Amino acid sequence: MEMSGEYRIEASRQTVWDALNDPEILKQSIPGCEEIERLSDTELAAKVVAKVGPVKAKFAGQVTLSDLDPPNSYRISGEGKGGAAGFAKGGANVSLKSDGEATILSYEVDATVGGKLAQLGARLIDGTAKKMAGDFFKNFAEVVTESKDLNSTENLNDADTNKVNHDINASKRPKIGVGSWIIGLIVAAAVILAIIVY
Amino acid sequence: MPTVSMTVNGESVSSEVEPRTLLVQYLRENLGLTGTHVGCDTSQCGACVVHVNGKSAKSCTMLAVQAEGSEVSTIEGLADGDTLHPMQEAFRENHGLQCGFCTPGMVMSAIDLVQTNSDPSEHDVREWLEGNLCRCTGYHNIVKSILAGAKAMQG
Amino acid sequence: MTETNIGAPIKRVEDKRFLTGRGRYTDDLNQPNQLYACILRSPHAHANLKKVDVSQAKAAPGVIDIFTGSDMAADEVGSLPCGWQIHSKDGSPMHEPGHPPMAVTKVRHVGDQVAIVIAETKSQARDALDIIEVDYEVLPAAINMDEALSGKALVHDDVPNNMCFDWEIGDKEATENSFSDAHKVVSIELVNNRLIPNAMEPRAAVAQYDPSNGNYTLHTTTQNPHVIRLLMGAFVLQIPEHKLRIISHDVGGGFGSKIFHYAEEAILTWASAKVSQPIKWTAERSESFVTDAHGRDHETKAELALDKDGKFLGLRVSTKANIGAYLSTFGSSVPTYLYGTLLAGVYKTPAIYCEVKTVFTNTVPVDAYRGAGRPECTYLLERLVNKAAKETGIDPVEIRRINMIQPDQFPYQTPVALQYDVGDYPRAFETALKASDYEGFSSRRKSSEDNGKKRGIGISTYIEACGIAPSAVAGALGARAGLYESAQVRVHPTGSVTLYTGTHNHGQGHETTFAQIVSDTLGVSIDQVEVSHGDTGEVQFGMGTYGSRSLAVGGPAVLKACNKIIEKSKKIAAHILEASVDDIDFKDGVYSISGTDRELAFGEVSLAAYVPHNYPIEELEPGLDENAFYDPLNFSFPAGCHICEVEIDPETGEVEITDFTAVDDIGRVINPMIVEGQVQGGLAQGIGQALMEGCVYDNEGQLLTGSYMDYTMPRADNLPNLNVSTESVLGASNPLEVKGVGEVGSIGAPPAVINAILDALSSLGVEDISMPASPSKVWQAIHNAQ
Ligand code: FES
Ligand code: FES
Repeated sequence: MEMSGEYRIEASRQTVWDALNDPEILKQSIPGCEEIERLSDTELAAKVVAKVGPVKAKFAGQVTLSDLDPPNSYRISGEGKGGAAGFAKGGANVSLKSDGEATILSYEVDATVGGKLAQLGARLIDGTAKKMAGDFFKNFAEVVTESKDLNSTENLNDADTNKVNHDINASKRPKIGVGSWIIGLIVAAAVILAIIVY
Repeated sequence: MPTVSMTVNGESVSSEVEPRTLLVQYLRENLGLTGTHVGCDTSQCGACVVHVNGKSAKSCTMLAVQAEGSEVSTIEGLADGDTLHPMQEAFRENHGLQCGFCTPGMVMSAIDLVQTNSDPSEHDVREWLEGNLCRCTGYHNIVKSILAGAKAMQG
Repeated sequence: MTETNIGAPIKRVEDKRFLTGRGRYTDDLNQPNQLYACILRSPHAHANLKKVDVSQAKAAPGVIDIFTGSDMAADEVGSLPCGWQIHSKDGSPMHEPGHPPMAVTKVRHVGDQVAIVIAETKSQARDALDIIEVDYEVLPAAINMDEALSGKALVHDDVPNNMCFDWEIGDKEATENSFSDAHKVVSIELVNNRLIPNAMEPRAAVAQYDPSNGNYTLHTTTQNPHVIRLLMGAFVLQIPEHKLRIISHDVGGGFGSKIFHYAEEAILTWASAKVSQPIKWTAERSESFVTDAHGRDHETKAELALDKDGKFLGLRVSTKANIGAYLSTFGSSVPTYLYGTLLAGVYKTPAIYCEVKTVFTNTVPVDAYRGAGRPECTYLLERLVNKAAKETGIDPVEIRRINMIQPDQFPYQTPVALQYDVGDYPRAFETALKASDYEGFSSRRKSSEDNGKKRGIGISTYIEACGIAPSAVAGALGARAGLYESAQVRVHPTGSVTLYTGTHNHGQGHETTFAQIVSDTLGVSIDQVEVSHGDTGEVQFGMGTYGSRSLAVGGPAVLKACNKIIEKSKKIAAHILEASVDDIDFKDGVYSISGTDRELAFGEVSLAAYVPHNYPIEELEPGLDENAFYDPLNFSFPAGCHICEVEIDPETGEVEITDFTAVDDIGRVINPMIVEGQVQGGLAQGIGQALMEGCVYDNEGQLLTGSYMDYTMPRADNLPNLNVSTESVLGASNPLEVKGVGEVGSIGAPPAVINAILDALSSLGVEDISMPASPSKVWQAIHNAQ
């Protein structure tokens, strides 16, 4: 399958980036994510449980980042096995653009699925992938907003974030130094994995 | 494991089940009511249709725990001793079954139709059967059976 | 005739158990201490199995054991055999690559077996599947036939260009000559779409091993338990027949797909001895889609040579047939002897030549599905005849009349091996034209057009060879089994009867029709007759039910056994009545001395057979229990004419079948109610093939039509009422004078539907459409033509 999309995140690129450095936020944002682990600067492993139509799979996926051009673009490729449900592999080209105070993330995904995922899910992949990607961004915004509310008395190191609705304040979080590839994870998890996973 | 209690064909039953147990599994495996069949894993064949609180339901789309407290009836509960329910009798009279695998679902579904629409047209019957697959009969005699069964149920 | 005898529309005796939910389908059965199995299947169409690591999964809760293909190979489990050997044009035998029940080194289609998990509960088994680690080295896959024939990817390393065999039939030279004499040559290219049989009951098996005596019992969803016992026992697991019992009580539809010996049967039987506990496996529908043998899947080019009057001179056919990843039990016979031998149809074409290349691909094995070869043949022929009518300007009715074999031409030797014994094709044809009000079509077309709709009418005639089969003929053609049938008639002391038949009832109603034969022949009432089938422990032997053979081959065996009963019991009656056997008349269950009023009832004689106090004990053994094996003289040849009328909405491409008329010659009718049901069911599958069903693989071999969401099965609101009748000439190949009815609907219907659609759209310039003619395809065809 192929799909592409664009999301506008009401936060500066830096803010988004920083928030995305927090595996806990990511875990909460990725629908069905049970575990995220960084294997190296360019490799990440995730476990996601996803359901598309009648197929439910626990998907163990590994994602690699390549063609890094921070903070503009990257390619993420992933491959995962969903046990008896089949397999999925694919990649996404992701780019980030500043749009005033917000960030626009666009992606183009190409993915193939096999086994039961293809058999039962082929026609549902697009819808599910879009839904999962959508859910991710919604969750992501909510989680970050909540954490901002909880920490509203704290100083924000990025003044801009105060001015927009869904500002994201992640500066209070410890910086893990995950790097720009984490944005790829959004796509990797919410799109490739998810799409693929179902 | 949670305990689930319901009435099945007029008898109250209660068992411990894994939460993920489907109603159809519960009927077939726990209660041994194997007249309710499983023909697919995507809720599209209707072989598993039973009545839950008087309405037809695909028992593969419900968890057993969702039927907690319900009145469930299955094909085994239809006949009165040796006397077939008029809908069962109509299927027999009109050769509405061949291999018999879809039959319980068809009969349960048909009875619900007649309860909602006592005088269905052929078109009504064909539309109503949208959720029930039969591979043997070409539906011709199933439709005929249901029309006859509807009359008999009124009579 | 009594109300229950041959010819009476008696209600089915088997219905009651099905209507009350008391059928005994395989998944309904449970054994004490039963374990559950789930099977891990390949998600790849083609891959080397580098490692299958089951260690973690073995430790999962409830898991008893896990086995892989290597475990079976270590036990020297054999390959799943093919029952029919075909030879290529050059005389070489077909390639028969190994077919291990579980993959050992390579998986060859999505769904191929990789491992079996046996656990205490089904959910535990299913959960453990997820933690088996398999390292696949994915290989390029051969999916479509042209690609496969290029040999770039080899499904089996030792089969060059993936060609299983390259077969031919007919006189090539005579056919070439007919084309050089032709006034006109009409050609066509078409695809017979791949179908998935989809019996509503998914396959299932319960295997049990008794360590105390080494006996195995397998309950399985099969159409032919003795064939499974023979194939699995002798070729795969090396278990002698007396230690292996196969039982298949109620089976929820087969349509061919449950003939074959499937891997799971062997895996479960073998594993049941490993764990010494009964094991049950039931396919989920999604497993059925990728493991039940598929049907059809031909690509064909054909040409018809005609003289200036529209007479057929010659037919030249070249077909590619997809056989899937492995040779299934009867896969090789379908695109050959069940296909090429029928190419004369009901026409007098003097010269025919057909060649078939059969190709391995990385898809599910392809084998017999209702009709098996004959629908492919009929579709090709009847589309071609319609095209010839169009190109010569002769009316489609007329061109058929001109070329049809006439009643005085029987026996009719076709140029493709078969000899048709009896028939009257013009009679069924003319009856169908009348029944469908063919003459009134133009006024119906006009009223449709007034409503902005397109209306069309399509004809198909057909002939099929069924009653499979005379053993000697089948053997000469490559069958590795005899195709007779057996029956045993056991008359009990008080005169009730149990009939054991080697055929199998999975919807056809044999428990009723066979009881009618016994009741009629022995004069006992039908409620005194019980039919037993489907258990190798009870029935002496049998070849099972497929190819519309049960009544045509199994029926005469019943008759023969009944006649042996009559013969013996007459001797007993003669003794008791103190008369000569020649003077004993037997009629309606009563023995009498001709011309006197001295008589004995059936029950009196049977009692004497078991209580032989006054008995010719020196000449006759006690007891009244006879068996018979019947081998038919020839195939039987049902034939007929199907006419379909459609109305198409050109705005949406939606096709509505407004009328469907089928007039079939099926020989003697034992039970007209059951016959109608068989025809209706077959028509639904044929209409399904024409309008809705089609199996789609992507380029990587993933099945995209793998559920009822994507594989569209006909539902009640897709089908019309069906106008079905018979116009029979009694059969000549067997003493019951029957021909067979199970497959006629799926053979005749597809070309009738497509011819009707093309007729409707011809004014719009549409000349071709492929099956399934879905609304989008019809709409596209209309738009492309404009
Ligand atoms: S089993 Fe098919 S709909 Fe329930
Ligand atoms: S009777 Fe066999 S599926 Fe309906």
